Amino acid sequence: MSPSGLRRPNDPPLLILVSLADGPKHGHALAKDIEDFAGVRLGPGALYGAITRLAERGLIEPFGSEDRRRPYRITPPGSAALAAALADMRRVTRAGLARLGLDPA
Amino acid sequence: MKPASLLRWYPRAWRERYGGELAALIQDDLDEGRPAWRLRLSVIGGGLRERGRQTRHATAASLTSPAWQNRWGTIVLAGLICGFLAGDLTSPLSAAPRGWQGVALDAVLAAVAVTGAVVLADGLLALPALVKFLRAGGGPKIRRRAGWAAAATVAAGGGLAGLVLVSGSHPPAQLNASWAYWAGVLVTGLAMAAAIGLWAAAATATARHLTLTPRVRAAQLVLGAVIPTAVTTMLITLALWWSATQDSLTMLVLAAANLVAVSAGTPGKIRRAVRRGRRLRSAASGR
Repeated sequence: MSPSGLRRPNDPPLLILVSLADGPKHGHALAKDIEDFAGVRLGPGALYGAITRLAERGLIEPFGSEDRRRPYRITPPGSAALAAALADMRRVTRAGLARLGLDPA
Repeated sequence: MKPASLLRWYPRAWRERYGGELAALIQDDLDEGRPAWRLRLSVIGGGLRERGRQTRHATAASLTSPAWQNRWGTIVLAGLICGFLAGDLTSPLSAAPRGWQGVALDAVLAAVAVTGAVVLADGLLALPALVKFLRAGGGPKIRRRAGWAAAATVAAGGGLAGLVLVSGSHPPAQLNASWAYWAGVLVTGLAMAAAIGLWAAAATATARHLTLTPRVRAAQLVLGAVIPTAVTTMLITLALWWSATQDSLTMLVLAAANLVAVSAGTPGKIRRAVRRGRRLRSAASGR
C-alpha cells in the first residue's frame, strides 16, 4: 500500500479525493459525481466508510454546513496524497501502453 | 424504510459524528428511487465494518497501553488458575485440611478476602460519583460494556458450577482421563479471564465519565497500586496451596519467584502512588 493508503483506481478513497479536487461536495453530490466520471456507484455504507477514513487521516475535512448535508473539501495533505497516487498510476499506465505499442512515449 | 433505524448498525460514537449526514444521503438515494434492499445492504455492511474497526482499535489500545500491559498476563493467569482449581478446591473445603495444606488453604481464603475487600473499597469510593452519573442519565454510555461483562460472568459462573458438580460426582481418575472435562476446565478458565478483563475494562471506561474529588482520586491511586499486588498475592497463595496438595515443586518455585517479584516492586509502586496523590490534592487545594 502507498503511504497515502490509496491503492487502486477504483478505491473509494481515491475516487472521493478526485471528486473533491474541483471543489467541496456533500455525500449525495459525491456519489453522483463519482458515478459520472468513474462509472462506479458507491453505496452509502462504502461512501461514508471512505469519508471516515479520509477525515481521520486529515486528507479531507468538513466545510461549513448545509442542513444535514455537510460538504467536505480536500485538504493540502489530501491534494498531495492524490497527486502522488495519480503520478504512480500514470507511470504504470505509461509503461503498460508503451509495452502494448499504443503509446511510444 | 426509515434511514434513522438503519443507523443502529453503526457504533454510537460514529453515529453522533456522521449519523445525520448518512441519514440524509440514504434519504436522497431513496428519493431517487434506488432499491431499498441495496441501500440496506450497503449500510449494514458499512456499519459492521465500522464496528469491527472500532473493536480492533479498542482492543489494540487496551493491549498496548502501558497501564494494561502488566495486567493482561495477570488477568489471564488468574482466570486459568481459577478454572483449573475449580474442581480441586471443593475437596479441601469439605474435608478437614491439616498441616501445610490447611495453612495454604487459609492463606488462599485470606488473600481472596483481602483482594475482594480492596477491590470493593475501590468501587465504593467511586460509588457516589457513579450514582450521580447514572442519575444524570449516563446509563446508556456504559450499558453495553457492563452487559458484555455480565454475560461473561454468567458464562464463567455456569462453567464453574458445572465443573464443581462434575468433579463432585466423578472419581479423579475418570476426570483426568476425560478430554471433555479438561476442555471444560480450559473454557471456564478463559471465560473467567474474559469476565475479569471485561469488568476491569468496563470499570476503566466508566471511570472516565465520573467526576471524582481530589481526595477520592488520591485514594484510588493508592488502591490502584495495591490491587495488582493483591491479585498477584492471591495467585501466589493458590500456587502454594496447589504445591502443598499436589506435591508440586514447580508450583512452589513459581510461587517463590512471584513472591520475590512482588516484594521487590510493590513498595515503590505504592510510594509513587502516594506521592502522586499528595500532589493531586495539593494542586486541587491551590497550595
